[in-house]
Amino acid sequence: MTDRSFTLILIGLLVLALIASMAIGAFLFSPAQMFRFAGERLGWLAPNPAEALDGNVFFVLRLPRVVLCGLTGATLGLSGAVMQGLFRNPIVEPGLAGTSAGAALGAASVFVLGTQYMNFLSPLGTAAVPLMAFAGAFAATMFVWKLSTRFHHTNVFTLLLAGIAVNAMCSAGTGFLSYIARDPQARSIAFWNLGTFTTADWHRTTIVAVVFVACLAPMLRHGKSLNALMLGEENAGYLGIDPEKLIFRLLLINTAMVAAATAMVGVIAFVGLVVPHLLRLMRASDYNFLLPASALLGALLMEVIDVVARVIIAPAELPIGIITALIGAPFFLWILFRQRWGRLDG
Amino acid sequence: MRAASWLGVAAIVFASRAAVADPPPGDRVVCVSKQINEFVYDIGAESHLIARDLTSIYPPQIKKLPDVGYHRALSAEGIVSLRPSVLLTDGNVGPNEVLDRVRAVGIPVVTMEPGDTPDAAQALMLRLGDYFGRAAAATKLVASWKKSMAELARTAKSWPADKQPKVLIVHFGQIANDYLGVAPKGAAGQILEWAGGRNALQATGRMTRLTPEIIAGAAPDIIIATDIGFDRYGSAEKFAAMPGVNLTPAGKNLRIYRIDETEIMYFGPRTPAAVTKIAHWLHGP
Amino acid sequence: MDDAAVILDGVSRRAGGVQILHDVTLGFAAGRFNVILGPNGAGKSTLIRIAAGHIARLEHGTVSYWDAPLDTFEADALARRRAVLSQQIEMAFPLAVEDVVMMGRYPHYRGVPSARDREIVREALALVEMTERRHQLYPTLSGGERQKTQLARVLAQVWQEEGTLEQTVLFLDEPTASLDLHFQLQLLATARTFLRRGATIVASLHDLNLAFDFGDRFFVMEGGRLVHQADAPEDMPKELIERVWRVKADPIAAGGRTRWYFRV
Repeated sequence: MTDRSFTLILIGLLVLALIASMAIGAFLFSPAQMFRFAGERLGWLAPNPAEALDGNVFFVLRLPRVVLCGLTGATLGLSGAVMQGLFRNPIVEPGLAGTSAGAALGAASVFVLGTQYMNFLSPLGTAAVPLMAFAGAFAATMFVWKLSTRFHHTNVFTLLLAGIAVNAMCSAGTGFLSYIARDPQARSIAFWNLGTFTTADWHRTTIVAVVFVACLAPMLRHGKSLNALMLGEENAGYLGIDPEKLIFRLLLINTAMVAAATAMVGVIAFVGLVVPHLLRLMRASDYNFLLPASALLGALLMEVIDVVARVIIAPAELPIGIITALIGAPFFLWILFRQRWGRLDG
Repeated sequence: MRAASWLGVAAIVFASRAAVADPPPGDRVVCVSKQINEFVYDIGAESHLIARDLTSIYPPQIKKLPDVGYHRALSAEGIVSLRPSVLLTDGNVGPNEVLDRVRAVGIPVVTMEPGDTPDAAQALMLRLGDYFGRAAAATKLVASWKKSMAELARTAKSWPADKQPKVLIVHFGQIANDYLGVAPKGAAGQILEWAGGRNALQATGRMTRLTPEIIAGAAPDIIIATDIGFDRYGSAEKFAAMPGVNLTPAGKNLRIYRIDETEIMYFGPRTPAAVTKIAHWLHGP
Repeated sequence: MDDAAVILDGVSRRAGGVQILHDVTLGFAAGRFNVILGPNGAGKSTLIRIAAGHIARLEHGTVSYWDAPLDTFEADALARRRAVLSQQIEMAFPLAVEDVVMMGRYPHYRGVPSARDREIVREALALVEMTERRHQLYPTLSGGERQKTQLARVLAQVWQEEGTLEQTVLFLDEPTASLDLHFQLQLLATARTFLRRGATIVASLHDLNLAFDFGDRFFVMEGGRLVHQADAPEDMPKELIERVWRVKADPIAAGGRTRWYFRV
């Protein structure tokens, strides 16, 4: 099996997961129904009044959710792969490195403090939330990076500790903001720290889609650079790469991508850790393969988890972050133990 | 006095009618307000209902209906999957996007705000009577409600300030699983005043998150706890042992009473009975 | 007199308050196995890094390749002409051997490698005798196998389209450190075969005898200065060796070549 055929299999599975996610929930839709709805919207078919509600639910509630979920999963998977390449360590991802928590804090501050205390944001309009999320994510990531990387070498334990510290500070900040929030628009602590797709709508989904698409192409182009970085920054330099510029540029794009998704969905941890790791185990560490595959597997995993979140305690919904933590935390411990016993070279 | 009260009600009804006409209720009404649900049963329109929210538990037969969750943690898709003809609320729902999303899917949402006074609550009942085609029943019920309120006003003793015990009304918030103290504003505060009690809290909002220090600082002579919060402890003795409560006169003298939240958290036909009950607790027979 | 592939002129370097190199002027001979010798702290590694172009801005001195100053080369163009093999590389993630070697071709292609790139990788693997292990994961290799893989990588990096290694430079910075004797000899012997295709090699080695076995030109560093240049092992005076390395050195004749026995 080649990397390419593996990737094609991932694409196939993703398509199946998307269909399942579109079909399953409080409303159950069959593929035939979905085609009919699409046909009606496009004007090919005459509208069927008996299915008017179902069609509306599908397009207004279900579809944006499925799209947002997939985009978020792709973002997190890809981000995990990139960050692991930049830090040259398998125990890095936007959740553990503080990026997501910083984004949540930035976004929450706009929701809660809003126009009252942050007048300088008013001219930005709806862009204020993603921009502040970006600022928060960037600050958090830079802090963790500067603390843990000295002379081009990343100390893993410092990285993890700094990540814990930044995460704690940011979630405390977000929690506090939720607590004092007067404005009904402010989201709850549960939203920020546990993530949920319940409130997905086309507005939010579009924001995430635009940012994701803008960031995807530049990132996918860096498969070779991330491979070369594995040799160390000096050797990557001899191969014609500028490691400092590369790292900074990729961190910037990565932060933007994660910030947009987190601002709309809340913090979802561990996906960026699990996805690239599974791919390395199952297939290869070559970044030319790993980057697109991480996006695909991330989307696939997220869709499956969202279906579970919708169904397991229906009609109520479980926040996504609980499920990803249930899966991700033991996985994380397993990686740690393997590293300590030297079986995974690192 | 009576005439003025009727005028007040009429004004409110008129004002609400002047608003855009509500879509007809149909047979599949999902109502996520415990106050409105109680009134619907009162006027005999319960055949329209197919689902309720978690906190609508009066009258007891409403519990046979499926519930769509806590009214501040609703799921749009969950509600819509019941294919309701109308979603009926009192405006107190969460998360904020829920109503918009239900509307966006094409389900009509009707919001009837209950207001802060018995007059407003009575106007609500009349409005519901019109809405469900049970105007006659509603009018009759409001009339007898007004009669019992007037009766209450007449017979209620006016207690001098030093004879009014300090009372803390403790409600339970299911979103954050914490205890909330009821402030003077709002239905419960008003009911307490009619019953001849002084509110131990002087907060300005409607509810205050309670901490042991706030409870101890308020030093109430009597604590009235709503059902869910009280039942978490199960008995007055256990409730009295709660940190903060154990330092209050109410805790030490075991003057802790249980009441259903549907009796005091909003105005309804049972309000006079609730006032009488509380007055009895406060001042004796 | 040889052509000089790489010329350093008046190069000085100061870092961390210490003068690491003093006014070094030399030319590494084209098409030859140049060896930099000297004890620890003599500045060998820094010399290689500066010659390889790792340190972008020099306060004093210039470096030129075939008479063109180093700073006129674009990063990619330079990467296609010179490669550096350093000491043991630990990789954080398990890549296959052939993927590691393919990295050497990165400066040569955008996007996807061509058939020629893949062919060159195969040939490089064959030259280092790692063909059978091309699918094996790098972290599972022994130290010697890893260095052979890296050698194949740097070879692939400077391998020109036409198959020649003319006008290319391979820097080997202590490549044999912590390797078994077998791999030390194998590595250096393989590197020497590149000279046949026109490559220039600049290596820093610890072991004097090994250096004399494989090297053509010798540059002795002491305290950041170039203290001696020799065009043959025989041109290394005993007094110099004894002074620079602080040992007693006794020459041994072995098959017509002079080697040394060292004592403290």
